[in-house]
Amino acid sequence: MQFAFRTFGRGAHPPASKFTANVPLAEFDAPELLRVPLSQHIGAPAVPVVEVGDTVAAGQPIGESGGFVSARVHAPVSGRVTAVKKGVTPTGAQCVHIEIENDFEGRTAFLPPLDDPTPDMIRERVRECGIVGMGGAGFPTHVKLAPKTAPEFFLLNGAECEPYITCDCRLMTERAEEIVRGARLMAKAVGAGVALIGVESNKKGAYAALEKACGGADDVRPVLLRTKYPQGAEKQMVFALTGRRVPPGGLPADVGCVVDNVHTAYAVARAVDMGEPLISRAVTVGGGETGAPGNFFMPVGTPFSFVREKTRGERSDEDIVKVISGGPMMGVAQSGLDACVSKTTSSLLFFGAKESAATSPTQCINCGRCIRQCPMKLSPRDIEKAVVAGDFPRTEELYVTDCMECGVCSYVCPAKRPLVQAIRLAKKTLKERRK
Amino acid sequence: MKNLRVSSSPHITSPATTQRIMLDVIIALCPAVLAMVLLYGFYPLFLTVLSVSSAVFCEWVFNIITKRTQTTRDLSAVVTGIILALNLPPVVPFYVPIVGAAFAIIVVKMLFGGIGRNFANPAITARIFLMLAWTGVMTQFVLPVDLSDGANLFAYFRQGVEISLPDAITTATPLQGVKEAISSGTDPSAGLSALDMFLGRIGGSAGEVSTLAVLIGGVYLAVRRVIDVKIPVLYIGSTALFTAIFFADSGYVGEYVWTYLLGGGLMFGAFFMATDYATSPKTPVAVVIYGLGLGFLTVVIRKYGTMNEGVSFAILLMNIVTPLLEKIKRKPFGTPHKDVKELAAAVRAKFAKKQTAVEEGGERVE
Repeated sequence: MQFAFRTFGRGAHPPASKFTANVPLAEFDAPELLRVPLSQHIGAPAVPVVEVGDTVAAGQPIGESGGFVSARVHAPVSGRVTAVKKGVTPTGAQCVHIEIENDFEGRTAFLPPLDDPTPDMIRERVRECGIVGMGGAGFPTHVKLAPKTAPEFFLLNGAECEPYITCDCRLMTERAEEIVRGARLMAKAVGAGVALIGVESNKKGAYAALEKACGGADDVRPVLLRTKYPQGAEKQMVFALTGRRVPPGGLPADVGCVVDNVHTAYAVARAVDMGEPLISRAVTVGGGETGAPGNFFMPVGTPFSFVREKTRGERSDEDIVKVISGGPMMGVAQSGLDACVSKTTSSLLFFGAKESAATSPTQCINCGRCIRQCPMKLSPRDIEKAVVAGDFPRTEELYVTDCMECGVCSYVCPAKRPLVQAIRLAKKTLKERRK
Repeated sequence: MKNLRVSSSPHITSPATTQRIMLDVIIALCPAVLAMVLLYGFYPLFLTVLSVSSAVFCEWVFNIITKRTQTTRDLSAVVTGIILALNLPPVVPFYVPIVGAAFAIIVVKMLFGGIGRNFANPAITARIFLMLAWTGVMTQFVLPVDLSDGANLFAYFRQGVEISLPDAITTATPLQGVKEAISSGTDPSAGLSALDMFLGRIGGSAGEVSTLAVLIGGVYLAVRRVIDVKIPVLYIGSTALFTAIFFADSGYVGEYVWTYLLGGGLMFGAFFMATDYATSPKTPVAVVIYGLGLGFLTVVIRKYGTMNEGVSFAILLMNIVTPLLEKIKRKPFGTPHKDVKELAAAVRAKFAKKQTAVEEGGERVE
């Protein structure tokens, strides 16, 4: 009965590989040294407000937002600031990190809980707590919660369509109450009448928990969606839940929707009800070379090397071929373990030779899979041809800018051609030329 | 862990490979090959082996001469060889498939850049080439052999080297009978049995006669998602539709439809040749035009042409149109549809403008 669930057109079915779906969320050991990146979000990086030698408590602001589209950063643990220096982020970029030596005293500096907050109070609290979209993009949530016109729908994205990742699944299963509470708060903040939570059909447990938490209410309810990649893409999620099509270059707000991730809703509920800033998140650690995989609440700033140490199990580091921050479809391959967990790190995968087989491209056989399965109805085959020919204006005619880089084309290609990679090159080149 | 592999996402790929797809096509061709052996004995199988060997050998040599990477391992030459052999009459001289496969691979496929770059289906183009080169042997068909006598399995090896076959063993194909019925205005299905045509107990090309065997392979391809199933469905459907339209006043509409569907190479062409990757369009609108065009051309050629190779010529012609169909632009997801009302309003506005222009012009003349 798979086809009975709501979904979007086209797409692909990579193996789900949700090996950690039944591993309960656990608190991760706190590291002795944390490096908190000041750019964990889209927009201006945060500005450091502490200095080397300062003593901080968990939840105390250490970076003030550097503009309207920016977000505050807080100390994840109590301790002492030992350095303010540049470092590498999980996306491969460079930004200032604040290094904190954990004193394991557990001092906290949370905000007072809010009782029956108004929309403005919710927005202000979200801003104070530095909450950003935790699905991957990291768009500052207080900006998203201030739409120009009140939308009809508030949509929560619990699709988690990327293979391997199970942190949202566990969060929905174990913390459904908080997520539903967060959904109500966020719907209230944007002025939407209805909040829908989209969950893929392979997360029946999460769906049941959310349904129980909603208790048959009219204003919030979960909706089962077909398991298909990229079900969690914003435009595809809007279409599956409401049947509305976000126009090219547009935002969900254009069709009366605001979309946010379930983990964000959880963070909002914690911020409002407990005054806790966004200083930790659920992270899936998996992949074939992880000896002790699982889902963990990790403080932001936990170094990847520390994560590896605690989850290595019986495995050897020598067998790791690839380290991915995020999922295998859209995640970022790491060149080392220097980066640290940020607010948008949903998973850390350690792949061996078997899982990340290197493929060399062969000649395109014109099978048309990339064209038939592109969720955005583009023609990756033609775009790649234009890129190979160096004809970048042609790629623009082929709507290359509407590509969301989900990677379906490269995934399904039998000739293993680097299609989405060519598209990225085209977008980057067009951007540079426009300057 | 010193040398981590860093690459742009996605970090996983589907198990589909070119080789696996071609292997699927070969598997799908097996029922037709089996039916061919059961109907005509081992001689056409021998021709198939020659055709495949010639195809693979030519690709191998071509790659060596032009200093390209060897591509014979992708199995696409094997597919071309099998499809060409199944397209030939069961009894032709042994050199016919050898020359045909060489033409298909070298001229139609490799000279245009190899796999995925050919402008027309290699097997069909080669078949038409052979048709013109050896019209005599390419148009004489034999009856299926009686397999109750095991020796008959080797029945046609003796005649294989003859250019013209004795009348005693040749037969007319159903479509030749239908063609005569068109001019005489009689029942086209006279003397034909739908069951025989479905199972393949008729004269025709070696691998195309058994509709049943072709359908089994076609369903396999559709289930494995190797082919875009819209193409055969549209092709077969539109052939039935256009047959009904073109023969509407003949008095034998039903008979024409089923003889046209079961006779000739329609089923084989629809599943195995019209769906050829390099020469079929990909976007839904283009596929619909392609499918309808195939059906239309097939019926027109079969009804008005002097030859019965409607399917081959229709596919070849639509192959040539495919690059044009590919130019039909597809708008990205979410592009607002023009409302019917909006369109009507736009048309009306245009019309009204013309009207006023005419009126104004009229006034000026007065």
